[in-house]
Amino acid sequence: MSDLAGIMVVTMIIWIGLFAYVYRLDRKVGRLED
Amino acid sequence: MTRLSTALKWGLLLWMAVVIWAAFMWVPSATGFKGESSRIVFFHVPTAWVATVAFLVSCIASVIYLFRREPRDDARAAVSAGLGLLFAVLATVTGAIFARIMWGAYWNWDPRQTSITILLLIYAAYFALRGAVADTEKRATLAAVYSILAFVTVPFLMFIVPRIYWSLHPDVITNADPDNRLDSAHLRVLLASLVGFTGLFVWLYTIGSRIETIRRRRQQEVL
Repeated sequence: MSDLAGIMVVTMIIWIGLFAYVYRLDRKVGRLED
Repeated sequence: MTRLSTALKWGLLLWMAVVIWAAFMWVPSATGFKGESSRIVFFHVPTAWVATVAFLVSCIASVIYLFRREPRDDARAAVSAGLGLLFAVLATVTGAIFARIMWGAYWNWDPRQTSITILLLIYAAYFALRGAVADTEKRATLAAVYSILAFVTVPFLMFIVPRIYWSLHPDVITNADPDNRLDSAHLRVLLASLVGFTGLFVWLYTIGSRIETIRRRRQQEVL
């Protein structure tokens, strides 16, 4: 794997991790609102 | 969550995944940049853009607060200023990485770096002010006035100062030099990234505002 592909994979993992965190937070806030 | 909002969120995940793939794998390295440094533009410019939008939203919410005196407007202003600060830090970090590759040092007090440092300090002071006043109504009024005054400096520090003084910072979109400009493929990815980051800001802002509403409701229940 090239350096660039490696950086892309790391960036992708960070993005998916951030999305999962925010999505969970969103659902939790939704439950608190009910 | 409605079906539409759920679809938009999953769409954002996919959208940004495609942007990340395109930024590193699809577009070739831009001319006039050292190595692969031009690829950071796809993340640096959108974070700086979102920071500007967030400070603008904070200013608008502050103006609305001064007219309506609704605590939710004060909360929105604070949430937006917080997100603006976060994205401004991200823009500073990505800019420093770019500077290290292009000019050999993370920090060299370039006008852009100096002006964003001043901007970070101005908005850090906004939160210091909020933390220093105990009375909620007084705090909201003072913070609203401060947020409006702070935003006056944003166009000056983000757009005017870096163009008055000679700067190492490339002007890749509007400059006339074809050797140091992004081509149409780069601009398409940059635009897609701007859309994605703006979507992320809207989502985070909505969540932050909802959290503040819940917090206020619980405080009223306790009282």
